[in-house]
Amino acid sequence: MRVATRLALATTLVVLFGLSSAAGETPAAVPLPPYAGAYQPQTVDERGAWMMADEAERSLRDSPALIGDPALNAYLQRVLCRTVGEDRCRGIRIYILRVADVNASMMANGTLQIWSGILLRMQNEAELAGVLGHEFAHFERRHQLNHFRKARTATDIAAWAGLAGGRYGPTVAFSAQTSIYAFGREQETESDMLSSRYMQASHYDGHSVGAFWERLMDEADATALGRHRRSTRFDRVSYFDTHPATLERARTFHAAAASAPGGGDDEHAAWTAALARWREAWLEDQLKLNDFGGTEYLLAQLGRDGWTQDLLFARGELYRMRGNPRDLIAAADFYREAIILAPDHAEAHRGLGLTLLRRGREVDAETGRAELRRYLTLKPAATDAAMMAALLS
Amino acid sequence: MAGRVIASATTAILLAVAPAIAGNTLVKQGVAASVARSALTVMPDREWNRMGARPGRRSETWTLDGATLNDLTFYGAIETGKTLFRKVDRKHRPLPRYSSRMLLTDIPMLLENSYRIALGTSLMTIDTVQPTLLAGSKAVRFTYTCTRPGEDVERRGEAVAAIIGRKLFMMSYEAPAIFYFDRDLAAFRRLVATAWLAEGTR
Repeated sequence: MRVATRLALATTLVVLFGLSSAAGETPAAVPLPPYAGAYQPQTVDERGAWMMADEAERSLRDSPALIGDPALNAYLQRVLCRTVGEDRCRGIRIYILRVADVNASMMANGTLQIWSGILLRMQNEAELAGVLGHEFAHFERRHQLNHFRKARTATDIAAWAGLAGGRYGPTVAFSAQTSIYAFGREQETESDMLSSRYMQASHYDGHSVGAFWERLMDEADATALGRHRRSTRFDRVSYFDTHPATLERARTFHAAAASAPGGGDDEHAAWTAALARWREAWLEDQLKLNDFGGTEYLLAQLGRDGWTQDLLFARGELYRMRGNPRDLIAAADFYREAIILAPDHAEAHRGLGLTLLRRGREVDAETGRAELRRYLTLKPAATDAAMMAALLS
Repeated sequence: MAGRVIASATTAILLAVAPAIAGNTLVKQGVAASVARSALTVMPDREWNRMGARPGRRSETWTLDGATLNDLTFYGAIETGKTLFRKVDRKHRPLPRYSSRMLLTDIPMLLENSYRIALGTSLMTIDTVQPTLLAGSKAVRFTYTCTRPGEDVERRGEAVAAIIGRKLFMMSYEAPAIFYFDRDLAAFRRLVATAWLAEGTR
């Protein structure tokens, strides 16, 4: 009897909270989209969310990791504008951060941050358009705000249900909490769908994003294999996942692209030109993550249309860093191939020289020293010139 | 009587808890100090604080004003297959391992990659690499700059490393670029100059 009373109380509270949260909102007849010119947040919740986002944006703007290159920033902004339309993209500020990991995110006030790690892995402009479109959809649909409200209501329910106790209290509390994550997954799927529609409208190849997701899964597998771990399951979600299963996302994009009129550009050439200045530095960041399997996979993907000197050099560095005797043989070959394409690639001569010295055979050592001398000739002011000169003496 | 019982109980608790929460000890001026549980020994010409928390099994940290303001870390006799410090996330972010087959020029890269992975930053550069001596052996002296994620503080560092008897010995000094680094760099260099390996324990 007592349990039944407490349960009834809990249910009443849940209903009350449901009502009060619905009554608290005063929906405008036609709410202005958040990207409208000089849009101001309308409700208490939205003002709060924007205020916090403004603060976060200020520290992002001053972050030492920020990549300020005007050409690259302008390029990303252009791709966003082509994807979502000139009238909408003005509401967004893009911040490119030098972080060697795969991520992009959107804040309530239109602050979009994208990391160098995700840009390094893209192969064409259409893939970038898919990611930017997805993030824009979060902004357009006010997902951050909705998620905050959902989380508040659900945690209120969870708190009251937990307090009320009884047989079902913990179950109600748990369901309420996990519903926040499910809600997050629904929003992600909605953004994926919207992103596909943007791509169709802006004549980008919709299949590109599906392919991008597939490569990310393959790379994660390659990383796991390289570390002697089991592969990740990509086809299931747990209660606490905030995003849908990766495999499902790849399928969503392929299905959406299949139902589109067909065709679409991937703008591969424009993408390659835009990234040319940065790829070497970002590859270097990737090499230093101690992820042999994943990096080897990534290099092979980037080299699909031909191994350029920067990819060959990076592969030489990757093998030299792992440094098994067989790796040193492979590394020397990669450096030599890079040198064939770019005879004055100073770092490739350095890498080759150090690789040969490390092999510890006198016959290699002489050639190694010759390579280091060539490095010093090409780059006499190198930061490690004195150390290399000491190796030669 | 009751008061005395309480007092002695408190003392016992303090004694029992003290090593766990405040294992920092004073390093005395002018007394040879063996560091990082190894044969590496230095003669400090000023007082330092030895931190109770060690970055790894074969390392230890000294400081003057706190480890975020000046961090002097010793790595003693790191063997092949070992990491420089404790792994942050063995499964997803494994640290690179030292190998006696490495050249001295590979050591700056070993430290850089370990830092990048452990701190989760891409903002780390090796600025200069030069030959030097450590404990009478050929060594490498290198300087670096790094910024931890979520911080605007740029830190500078200088390290000296040698491979002696196939094991890695290294001393590094790191401090915020503003004020602290320059203030105590000379003290670090003086300490490096005193380093030797205790006989018979190599």
